[in-house]
Amino acid sequence: MTVESATRSVSRPGKKPSDSKATKDAEATKRDNVHVVTMVEAVNLALRRALNDDPDVVVLGEDIGINGGVFRATLGLRETFGYKRVIDTPLAEALIAGISVGMASQGMRPVAEIQFMGFINSTVEQMLSHAGRLRNRTRGRLSCPMVLRAPFGGGIHAPEHHSESTEAMFAHMPGLRVVIPSSPTRAYGLLLSAIQDPDPVVFLEPKRIYRMVRQQITDDGQGLPLDTCFTLRQGKDLTLVSWGAMIHETLLAAKELEQQGVDAEVIDVATISPLDMDTIRRSVEKTGRCVVIQEAPRSFGVGSEISARIAEEALLYLRAPVQRVTGYDTPMPYPQNESLYMPSTRDIVEAARVTLDNA
Amino acid sequence: MRYFKLPDLGEGLQEAEIVEWHIKAGDTVAEDQVILSVETAKAIVDVPSPCAGKILTLFGDAGDQVHVGEPLLEYADAQDDDSGTVVGKVKTGSREVETEDFIIGSPEQNVSVQAGSRNSDRILATPLIKALAKRLDVDLTQVAGSGTHGLITADDVEKAAQVRDDFGTAHTLKGVRRVMAKNMARAHSEVVGVTLYDDVDIHAWKKGEDPTMRLVRAIGVACKEAPQLNAWFDGNNLSLRLIERVDLGIAVDTPDGLFVPVLRDISGRSVKDLRKGLDNLREAVKSRKIPPQEMSGATITLSNFGTIAGRYANPVIVPPTVAILGAGRMRDEVVAVDGKPLVHRMLPLSLTFDHRAASGGEAARFLAIVMRDLAQT
Amino acid sequence: MFDDLDQAPGKLGFIDARGKSVRTLPDDIDVAWLQKSYQHMVRIRQLDKKAVALQRTGQMHTYPSCLGQEAIGTGIGMAMQNEDVLVPYYRDQATQAIRGVRLEQILQVWGGDERGNLFEGVAARDFPNSVPIGTQMSHAAGIAAAMKSRGIRQAVVANCGDGATSRGDVYEALNLVGVWQLPMVAVVNNNQWAISVPRSLQTATRTLAEKALAVGIEGVQVDGNDVVAVYQAVRSALARARCGKGGTLIEAVSYRLSDHTTADDATRYREASEVNKAWDFDPVKRLQTYMHDLGQWTPAQEQALLVAVKQEVDAAVTAYLKTPPQAADDFMAYVFANMTPPLLAQREHLLARLERDNAAQGGKHHDS
Repeated sequence: MTVESATRSVSRPGKKPSDSKATKDAEATKRDNVHVVTMVEAVNLALRRALNDDPDVVVLGEDIGINGGVFRATLGLRETFGYKRVIDTPLAEALIAGISVGMASQGMRPVAEIQFMGFINSTVEQMLSHAGRLRNRTRGRLSCPMVLRAPFGGGIHAPEHHSESTEAMFAHMPGLRVVIPSSPTRAYGLLLSAIQDPDPVVFLEPKRIYRMVRQQITDDGQGLPLDTCFTLRQGKDLTLVSWGAMIHETLLAAKELEQQGVDAEVIDVATISPLDMDTIRRSVEKTGRCVVIQEAPRSFGVGSEISARIAEEALLYLRAPVQRVTGYDTPMPYPQNESLYMPSTRDIVEAARVTLDNA
Repeated sequence: MRYFKLPDLGEGLQEAEIVEWHIKAGDTVAEDQVILSVETAKAIVDVPSPCAGKILTLFGDAGDQVHVGEPLLEYADAQDDDSGTVVGKVKTGSREVETEDFIIGSPEQNVSVQAGSRNSDRILATPLIKALAKRLDVDLTQVAGSGTHGLITADDVEKAAQVRDDFGTAHTLKGVRRVMAKNMARAHSEVVGVTLYDDVDIHAWKKGEDPTMRLVRAIGVACKEAPQLNAWFDGNNLSLRLIERVDLGIAVDTPDGLFVPVLRDISGRSVKDLRKGLDNLREAVKSRKIPPQEMSGATITLSNFGTIAGRYANPVIVPPTVAILGAGRMRDEVVAVDGKPLVHRMLPLSLTFDHRAASGGEAARFLAIVMRDLAQT
Repeated sequence: MFDDLDQAPGKLGFIDARGKSVRTLPDDIDVAWLQKSYQHMVRIRQLDKKAVALQRTGQMHTYPSCLGQEAIGTGIGMAMQNEDVLVPYYRDQATQAIRGVRLEQILQVWGGDERGNLFEGVAARDFPNSVPIGTQMSHAAGIAAAMKSRGIRQAVVANCGDGATSRGDVYEALNLVGVWQLPMVAVVNNNQWAISVPRSLQTATRTLAEKALAVGIEGVQVDGNDVVAVYQAVRSALARARCGKGGTLIEAVSYRLSDHTTADDATRYREASEVNKAWDFDPVKRLQTYMHDLGQWTPAQEQALLVAVKQEVDAAVTAYLKTPPQAADDFMAYVFANMTPPLLAQREHLLARLERDNAAQGGKHHDS
């Protein structure tokens, strides 16, 4: 198979010298649909674009209207598109997923927000038993083009149940796409594609990096392809595979390894399911070494799947066993011990060294 | 506490904008007294003083962005509870834009994937087999895999070990010999070679005649009269390029292997000049000083193996050339001349031609011209 | 916009917003009871204020204030017996404190330390506060079923907010309370706002109490700013429950005077005038006025109480801030009764990693 290969670059504009100048710059860029945004603002841009371009798109969830979402991902949408398309629901996650299935079955494009991934669990019945199966059980007569968005992951000292990474749970459900952006650019492009996708997409937003970096985005309605990894950095010695917020530590580790003379390739999986194994396998065939980094608990996760696939498809190219850098098989600790749970840049570098020292 | 630094006021917020200071430097504040209001990406919040004390300095003014962890104010007469942070003027919040390049999919997306074939120097063996090889001291680069896609199996390793034990270690070919091996294998798999054998009566030669120069001359003449064999053939495109100038590759045997330096334009130069040129080439080969360009571009080849031994051969054509003439060992032989048995000196010839590029008739006519020229005085 | 906070026919109330008695107080309410309740409400308000300040100064993480909810938590706590079980949500600081949860433990929970849930004494069988909305109601029904099954004549109190009543979990639990006649009292703290969504957008029913009709149990609406009303409703509901007469749904109407949590900014979605009006119904002030009018509370007593409460809360803050950190591997030690082989291996990994990081950072705490 060949997938069109393309690069996108985001240029670095000069620093803004003063606030009034910054405001003018902002106004100027907005006219050209160019925005300098954080990831959560990129989500907002994509939602705004989708609502604007497709009358079938509706956004729904808890506190997404007047409050603009607890992370402000839906800020200002209700003011622009009205309460009929930007819908504050009663406090009921199973309901939110369920009505999204119903709306989608009639050709609408609901984009539902679950406030935190810790509260996504009551949607499981709807997602597993209905959203992922509707097309199949009606042999294509009905489909379910919905998006279930949720901020996820730890590292922001949030209370209990606000820091989980249970992406593997949804990846294990047939019929669902699971997509995770790791930058403003990919958040914008992937969310637009998720909304346009004919099937249900669980779109998980790593909230730790919601506001970590700003990138320049052209709000042109162009999606980025789903079901495809993104190679963020090319290298020949070692393949680092990750997704979501851990991409941040992974890129830092790649930089550190570079100082040690090690040339690491960094792959952002982006679409967890279905998995683009071609990209990962090609890279591992080239480098012969692989470290998979995930924030989720160690066992039975996406990293386990990737490791298994490498064992099946690229074992003969491996110079060393695949290493996984992961969280532990524990509930996410309360904030005081959160950092003990979280994989660190140093952990990634160390795992990389294990693969390098092995062969 | 000496410096009060901006905490994360929401969940994962990176910065806040100072909306208003409710105090000024020099004020004395009580614990939990609201000292400033800041606006985060999520909310405007009132921030109280974490302790009682006198304010020495406020960092930043209304409208300034402060990053989480940066100091908001300094208390007078307080211990510095932070080691190593240099505190200066809090700069206006960075609006730095990150640059990002990425590739959708893999950088090698268009490379065709075929296990085992893309990386020819990659050893295809499972870790278990590699461990076995290590234990048996078998060099896996020397082992041909009999499994799928050339996968080396345990059997392969054990057989290799057995062979090594019985017959000693094989050595990897290097340099010229390695090149020869590869070229010959390629030629053998590609070329459709057909060889014609004949003897030419060189009784008419003067004493002291230079056989090599006679062969060179004869090839030059034949190439002029029957140009089909002085050519390059491209098997991939099935294209034939007849070449006017005759650049003759001459096989030179050395202890290190076969060299084929090229004697240029053999039909346009004097014998003396050619002889001198050939001697120079031989010397250059012998002293390993021959530049690579002197060994490329032959349009036809001569192998004068007869200087050592052997009557006939089926010399191998190296593409893109289409013919090679082999000259065997000269000998005296009883031949019938005008019905009488006489002893004449004979030169055995073997002409191999690539039947993809030339017909049998063309090759036979070429050989006939070579023989005619060689038979002359 | 919000449900009427005034007392009205059909809504149980004894002391109105102006601190005036509108109904004869129950027999078991005496001055000592009133003073004790008042002291506790003031104490919880001080703790709450301090907790927000700790968060604002980076010494605690996200905290859900219970400002304006003190009467509900205190009334419930005063009504419960030691052997009853509390299944709280995250705005039940007042009840938990009466049940013996130490103030520093409440701070510990929101400061990110699981040891804040290590309740002792009366609260030893209570649940920790539930963060996933409404999910605790079925736990309470299960506890009640266990009591009934074992023939224990005690009851469960389960609390949730108005938003939770939109969830199936809550209906499912209440339905069971009805059909199995379970000894459970569900108290809905109707503080009008589920983060930014007002009660009027959660349900089309006139009250939340009337949802009891759908499941065949008693439904009562009380003035949630009146500690006596809350106490009386919960006490009588518990008495009925303990003697096998089934459960009750109590809607305690109050107002969230604070943001949803410290991560929220309520000015984005509700008018200051509305909040100002709600302060007229302040549960603490009205009780103070009532006692003062009775001649049972003097400015001197008030001053002494404020000093005492500040000392107590400051001591709790000090205890919280001075709590030594947990052992690094504590977060692995309680996942199962016994650590499993994968966890044992992961503990080795954790400890090696900490040793490595400590060596690299000169003993500083590990951070990613």
